[in-house]
Amino acid sequence: MPTKIDRRSFLKVLGLGGAGAALAGCDRPSYATLEEGEEQVFSYLAPEEYVVPGIGVWYASTCLQCPAGCGVHGRVREGRALKLEGNPDTALNKGKLCQMGQAALQTHYNPDRITKPRIGDQEVTWPEALAHIQSKSGGATAWLTGAISGHQAVLLDTHLHARDGGGKHYAVETVNAQAWQAACADTIGDARPELHIDKANSVLSFGADFLGTWISPVKFMADYGAFRSAPRGVLTVIEPAMTLSGANADHWVAARPGSEAAVALGVAYTLASEYGVSTSALPSGAADAIANMTPDRVMELSGVEAQTLSKIAATLMSNSPSLVIGDGRYETAAAAMALNMMLGNIGATITPGVDLVPADLAMRNGSTKALADFAADALAGRIDSVFITGANPAFTASGGLKIKDALANIPLKIGVSMFEDETTQLCDVVLPLASPLEDWGTHVPSSGAGRGEIHVQQPLMEKLHPETLGLGDILLGLAQDAGADGLADFEDYYGYLRTAVSALIGTDQETAWQAVLQAGKVQAPSGERAFTANGALNIQIADTQAPSAGQLTLITTARQGLYDGRHANLPWLQEAPDQISKAVWDSWAEIHPKTAAGLGLKDGDYITITSSAGAITTRVFLYKGVHPDAIAVPMGRGHTHYGRYATGIGVNPLSVLDGTQDVRTGEFLATASVRVQATGDNRHLVRLMDVDQQYGRKLAVTISADQHRRNQTNNQGSA
Amino acid sequence: MSPDRRKRSPFPWIRTIMAVGVVGALIVLGGQMLEHERRGGESPMTESGPRVPNAVFPTDTFAGKDIAQPINYSHKLHAGDLGINCLYCHTYARRSKVAGIPPTSKCMGCHTAVATADDKPEIAKLSAMWESGQSPAWNKVNDMPDFVHFSHERHLQKFLFDNPDMNIQDSREVCAMCHGDMVEVGVAKKMRPLTMGFCNTCHENNDGPADCTRCHK
Repeated sequence: MPTKIDRRSFLKVLGLGGAGAALAGCDRPSYATLEEGEEQVFSYLAPEEYVVPGIGVWYASTCLQCPAGCGVHGRVREGRALKLEGNPDTALNKGKLCQMGQAALQTHYNPDRITKPRIGDQEVTWPEALAHIQSKSGGATAWLTGAISGHQAVLLDTHLHARDGGGKHYAVETVNAQAWQAACADTIGDARPELHIDKANSVLSFGADFLGTWISPVKFMADYGAFRSAPRGVLTVIEPAMTLSGANADHWVAARPGSEAAVALGVAYTLASEYGVSTSALPSGAADAIANMTPDRVMELSGVEAQTLSKIAATLMSNSPSLVIGDGRYETAAAAMALNMMLGNIGATITPGVDLVPADLAMRNGSTKALADFAADALAGRIDSVFITGANPAFTASGGLKIKDALANIPLKIGVSMFEDETTQLCDVVLPLASPLEDWGTHVPSSGAGRGEIHVQQPLMEKLHPETLGLGDILLGLAQDAGADGLADFEDYYGYLRTAVSALIGTDQETAWQAVLQAGKVQAPSGERAFTANGALNIQIADTQAPSAGQLTLITTARQGLYDGRHANLPWLQEAPDQISKAVWDSWAEIHPKTAAGLGLKDGDYITITSSAGAITTRVFLYKGVHPDAIAVPMGRGHTHYGRYATGIGVNPLSVLDGTQDVRTGEFLATASVRVQATGDNRHLVRLMDVDQQYGRKLAVTISADQHRRNQTNNQGSA
Repeated sequence: MSPDRRKRSPFPWIRTIMAVGVVGALIVLGGQMLEHERRGGESPMTESGPRVPNAVFPTDTFAGKDIAQPINYSHKLHAGDLGINCLYCHTYARRSKVAGIPPTSKCMGCHTAVATADDKPEIAKLSAMWESGQSPAWNKVNDMPDFVHFSHERHLQKFLFDNPDMNIQDSREVCAMCHGDMVEVGVAKKMRPLTMGFCNTCHENNDGPADCTRCHK
C-alpha cells in the first residue's frame, strides 16, 4: 500500500529538506577549491627553438578517415595534437576538411584503443605475437584492407610477393564508386577521369552523393561552391532516397529504387526526340537502349513523368556544359556516361586523369566484390592466413554473404587494428595499430585530383600507447621476416619512407625532405592518360515494377559522419545530427508518409524489417524525400562489439541485404526486398529539429529561387 | 475536522532531515570562517611591498602551503641574492599565455659552469636528471581552472613593456602583482588568492576589460 503524505507534511519536508540541501550544497568558498600542488607540470629538457609552451605549432599530415586522403594541418601544443584543419596547399581539399576529418582527434584519443598485442584473450608481447604468427602462417596468406595507396601499398605487395606461397590482396570498401569507374572505363577507357563540377553550368546526378560520401566529398564541395557562384549552376538529383546532394538540388526527383538508369535513358530519349541530339556517336548498345526507353516505359519502370524528363532535358540544353554522374548500379553509371557523350561533356567537364609513373603507388580502390571474392576463396580453403586492417568485414558484409562462416574457415586470422570490433573479435591474433596521427605514410587521393600530388602523412605527436605500431612498420617487419629483397637496411618505416620519397623527388638532401614535410605533399612524376573510344556498352535495364503488396525495397544509405560504420565509436559524429533526419545516437527507417499511412504507421513506431537474409527492428521516420516504394535505413550503426560508444546503438541495415551482386561489377547491391511489420511500440526519435514546419511563426522566412529572381527583375525594372 | 485529519500520520524522517540541514550549515559556515582566517592570515607581502608605477597594486593576499618540489630550487637565492631577472628563466611569459617552467637545458646552461654538482645535492639531482634525459615533475603551485584563460604575455605587455615608468630589470615587481614577491618564498608557495574576485578587483582598479568572454572562453 502506498505511503500517504498529506500536503502539510509534504511542504514541511520540501521546505526544510530543501533549505538543508541548499546549505550543504554551498560548499567551501571558491578560492579554497583552487588546487595547490595537486597537478604536475613537466618542463622540456631541451626544447626546439620554435617551441613555446602555450603556443601551437601546425604540422602537415594526411587524413585517413575515408579513402579520399585529404591533406591536413594539425595544431600541436605541449606535445599534444589538439585540432585538425585542411591543408590549404593541397590541390585536393584546398584547406577544407569535413566533419569526419575533424573527428580524427577522437579516433586518436579514443579510450577504447587497443594498447597491447593479444593471442586469443591473452595479452602478449610483440615478439610473442610475431613468433606465433610466424609459426602458424604457412601456405597462402592474404591481406584484407580498406582502400590503400602509397608506400604502405608497395610494402604490402612486397610482403605478399616475398612469401613462398604467394598471396592475394583484397581491398574492401562498402562506400565506393566501382559502378561509376567501370562505366567510365567502358565508355572512355579511363576509370578515374577528372570531374569538373566547377566548370559545369548544370549537374545531373543519379544517386551519386558527391556532397556527402562519393569519391572525394571535400573536393567536390569546394568545386560545388564555385559551381553555385554566379552564374549559378543548376543541380538536378534523381534518386530513390534523398541524400545530402539531393537536399541541395534545385530539382529533386524520386525514382523507384533501381530505376535510375531508366530515367537517365529517358532523359537521353527526350534530348534526342525534342532537341534532335544525336545518339549516333554512342557506343553500340547505348543507342538502342535509348531508343527503347520511351517516356511511357520510363513511367512504368520508375514512376517519373514525361514532363519531368522534358524539364530535365531543357535544363541540360540551356545550361551547357553540363556534367552527368551516376552510381550504385552499373547501368545507372553507364547511362549517365551515355548522356555525357551526347551532351559533349567529354573533354569539357570530364577530362583525362594522370597515371603516376611509379605505378605501384597508385590507389587500390576498395570494392564489395573483393569481399565476395575473399569469402569465396576462404570457403574454398584457398586462404591459410589473413591479415585484416582498415576493414571490418564482419560488420559491413551483406547479411547474405555468410562472412563469419568464411572467416571461420581460415586457420589464422590476424587483426591489425586500433579498436576491438566485430572482426577482431573473430581474430586469433590482434596487433595494436598506431593512430594515423602517430604514423608515417604517403597517400594518393582516391579521386586522382592533384595530378600526381601525393599527400605525406607524418606523426603529429608521440604515441599515446607505446606498444602500438604503425601499419608501415608492421608491413616492413613482416616483409623483412619473409626475406624480401632490398629491405634489410631499413631500421624502421620512417627510414624506408624517407629513402623512397627522396628517390621520388630526386634528392636526398635534408632541406628537400623538410620541405616535403612542411608542405605535406610531394609531386610524383606522372603521365597524362588519354581517352579511348570503346566498342560496345551493355546496358541491361532491370525490370523495376512497383513491389507486390506488403513488400518494400530497402535501401541502405551512406552518410557523411558514421560512413560505413567505422566512425560509430566517435561521440562527436554520433552526436552530430544526421544531414537528412537530424536524428542523433540512433537508427531510423525513412518511409514516405503515404506508404506509412497505408501500413498504419506513424512517426516513432517500431517496425521489424525482414528480408530473406535477416531482420532488424528500428523506428519509423516519416519523410517525403523517399520514394513511396522504398524504405531507407542509413548504415553505420548497429555495432555489437565496437567500444563503449558504438555498441548497442541502432541497427545495421547491411545485415539484411541478401548479397545480390551487380552483373557487370560484382558489387553487392544496396537494396533488398523486405517486409515491414509494426511491433506495437512507439517512442519519440530524438532529433535536433523536431518539426519540419514553423506553424506560421515565420522563424526562418524563405522564398523560392524563382520568386527571388522575379523580385530582382522587378526591382531592376523599377529602378 | 474529522478524526482522520486530526490523527496526522507522523513523518519519522523530518527530524533527521532537519538535523542534516543544520549539520550541513555548521560545516559550511565553519569552513568559511577557517578559510577566512587563512586568507587574512600572516602574509609575506606587506603594505610596504613592491609597487608598480601607473598601476594599482593588488593588496589581497593568500597564505598558501609550502609545496614540496622534486628539486628544492630556491627563488630567494636566484631571484633575490643573485638578482636574476624572472624573465631570464621564465622566458615564455612575455611570448605566450603561459610563463612556462624553464627547460632543463636552461638550468644546465649555468650549472655546467657555476655551482656544479660537487657538494650540492640538489644540483646533483638536477644533473642526474639531465644526463638520464628526464624532466623533473614539478608540482603545480598556481593553477587556473580550465575555463579561465589568463595570458602572461598580455599582462607583462601592459604593466612592464608598455609602462613608461617601468624598467625591465624590475620585472619582479610586475610578477609580484599576482605571485607575491617570490624572493620571500623559499621554494614555491601560492601567495595571492587568484580568484575571480581578485582578478576583477585588479581589472577594475587598472582599467582592465570587464567582459566575461575575455577570460572565460
